[in-house]
Amino acid sequence: MNDIAAPTIEYGQLAPMLLVFGAAVLGVLVEAFAPRYLRRSIHIPLTLAALVGSFALVLVQVFVSGVPTSPAAMGAVAVDGPTLFLWGVIAALAFVSVLLINDEDNFVAQAAAVPGSADEEDAEIAGFSQTEVYPLVLFAVGGMLLFTASNDLLIMFVALEVMSLPLYLLCGLARRRRLLSQEAAVKYFLLGAFSSAFFLFGMAMVYGFAGSVGLSDINAALPNVGGQEPLLVLGTALLGVGLLFKIGAAPFQAWKPDVYQGAPTPITALMASGTLVAAFGALLRVFWVALGNFDWDWRPVMWGVAILTMVAGAILAITQTDIKRMLAYSSIAHAGFLLTGVIATGAAEQNRDALSGILFYLLVYGITTVGAFAIVTMVRDAGGEAGHLSRWAGLGKRSPMLAGVFAFFLLAFAGIPLTSGFFGKYAVFSAAVAGGVLPLVLVGVVSSAIAAFFYVRVIVLMFFSDPAADGPTVVGPSVGTASVVAVAAAATVVLGVFPEPMLDLADKAASALFVR
Amino acid sequence: MTTHYLVLSVLLFTIGAVGVLIRRNAIVAFMCVELMLNACNLAFVTFARQHGNLDGQIIAFFVMVVAAAEVVVGLAIIVTIFRTRRSASIDDANLLKY
Amino acid sequence: MELYVPILVLAVLAAGFAIFSVSIAPFTGPKRWNRAKLDAYECGIDPTPQPVGGGRFPLKYMITAMLFIVFDIEIIFLYPWAVAFDKLGLFGLVEMVLFIVTVLVAYAYVWRRKGLDWD
Repeated sequence: MNDIAAPTIEYGQLAPMLLVFGAAVLGVLVEAFAPRYLRRSIHIPLTLAALVGSFALVLVQVFVSGVPTSPAAMGAVAVDGPTLFLWGVIAALAFVSVLLINDEDNFVAQAAAVPGSADEEDAEIAGFSQTEVYPLVLFAVGGMLLFTASNDLLIMFVALEVMSLPLYLLCGLARRRRLLSQEAAVKYFLLGAFSSAFFLFGMAMVYGFAGSVGLSDINAALPNVGGQEPLLVLGTALLGVGLLFKIGAAPFQAWKPDVYQGAPTPITALMASGTLVAAFGALLRVFWVALGNFDWDWRPVMWGVAILTMVAGAILAITQTDIKRMLAYSSIAHAGFLLTGVIATGAAEQNRDALSGILFYLLVYGITTVGAFAIVTMVRDAGGEAGHLSRWAGLGKRSPMLAGVFAFFLLAFAGIPLTSGFFGKYAVFSAAVAGGVLPLVLVGVVSSAIAAFFYVRVIVLMFFSDPAADGPTVVGPSVGTASVVAVAAAATVVLGVFPEPMLDLADKAASALFVR
Repeated sequence: MTTHYLVLSVLLFTIGAVGVLIRRNAIVAFMCVELMLNACNLAFVTFARQHGNLDGQIIAFFVMVVAAAEVVVGLAIIVTIFRTRRSASIDDANLLKY
Repeated sequence: MELYVPILVLAVLAAGFAIFSVSIAPFTGPKRWNRAKLDAYECGIDPTPQPVGGGRFPLKYMITAMLFIVFDIEIIFLYPWAVAFDKLGLFGLVEMVLFIVTVLVAYAYVWRRKGLDWD
């Protein structure tokens, strides 16, 4: 028997992620041992500090210790330029989402109490709150960090579950409209588990082909494909199903509107920003690092998926009457725009442009999304948030400030110049044109125009129609929500007017592409 | 030699996938997802045998643990909605649409 | 093949013992009949009519079962570690202790939140 060499683990490189997981475990201990009235006041600083610390550790790696050039933890986790960029983005987005989550009354008092029962009333009167939300969010964020960085399909699968399982639970914890929220949780869970089973079977097929689940090993095995094509093609397709489900690409988009509508809005903000960023990181890694030399086979299918996603997202959004569902379809359309960048592979130079475009797009889309959902939490009826679009009529006349900021976010989604969304779209589409996928970009531009139509329709509704007499009230935002909106608006302006530093940073992060 | 195991695994996976799509009870649909995961395990172990390395067997361990965590989360969600609605039928969950 | 001989011997011994004991018992044991002994066996409780589909159980059964499954399956990682314990050395020991500590955190949560109390 030969000796097993103890594996080496680069704790320094993994520190941003380990910090988040460590804080999540501490959060569970707080839940276990701190008295009920203290829990929230311990959780908030702990959670925020963990995310700030994680962000700081990313900065330290980028600017002090330098970007690593080889994968960490025996090739299981790759902390490279794109990973560090996306880690920073995820930590920042999670930070603003936690500020929103912290806003008191979005979460159920006691999840186990049946809605409308005496138990629930007692829990509300006693002022209970389900403070498990904070550790769950940290676990989900840790999963997102690992998901983008995993250089091994097994690690990727575990990260996918660590990210998803807390989100399934968080979806069902809305304080109001609990039936809707619980239904969203069941749907998200069943479909999510279904898609991760597909991912897993794809992983089994790829393992059968390559004899390993390391992304670079799979890449190395590609030249010896002779006679094994069915395994590889099937594996690629099934892995694709799992990953495309997570980014909400058509035809796997059905869960997104339902879940976004039913989940508590702060959690929707976290999912719409953080999960999308993480899932794109993983998608890029699988399709570029492991299957990059297999692109003649997966690219045609990806073309179809991208076109379908863009068109379905843009057209179905027009028919929506609920603001959160509309934003969900908008998120589907944006996933389609991002996919055009994924398809634009080719020479290293092209890949670099496409990658930096995607990185920048993910950042600007994520931050604007959190801002938009923060505003959704502020427009309320007696029974909670006023989701129906008709309730938003005339909002511009009653609270011009709020409606103005929301209109600005919508314009950024539409990609109007002088907003960050313009440069995001420009970066991805120009890289895609250079990568020779012009028809796809044309479809993208047309569906952007369709999408712009429904964004403008909401703006017209807010500013040019008369407010209903019993219209929704706009609650005075708490410090947290106000600062989320302010930060998101500021970022959307700054990145729209003066994007060069961030574009440079994205370009630098993408310069070395992914380490293998 | 290992082909039979692979065929069995694909069959189990397909049974599970079809079950998720056609069964109306959330618990049964969920059991079908578990069947899919176990079909994956069989495929992993088979390929581990075929390639002569142990990766696939270790992966099967990880999958079992993840599946257990998924069971707990999933049943918690399904039991919660059952207590609210007195039904675990997926067809009854129809508030979210359009 | 010789490797399996002890297992075969064990199997034969075990089966033989089982068959021997079950078949000898009616002849050697005392026979004292009463009503409870003639009923269907149900953990010593009088059998009760079951509703169709097995009826409904209190939630605490489910919670106990779920906790058991989670903590039970975590232990699976100890098996490969135990097999290679002497070769992995200190590194493996430290990692495994970290893993068990993490599981203990979850255990502490369950315990403090009264997940282990029956009533």
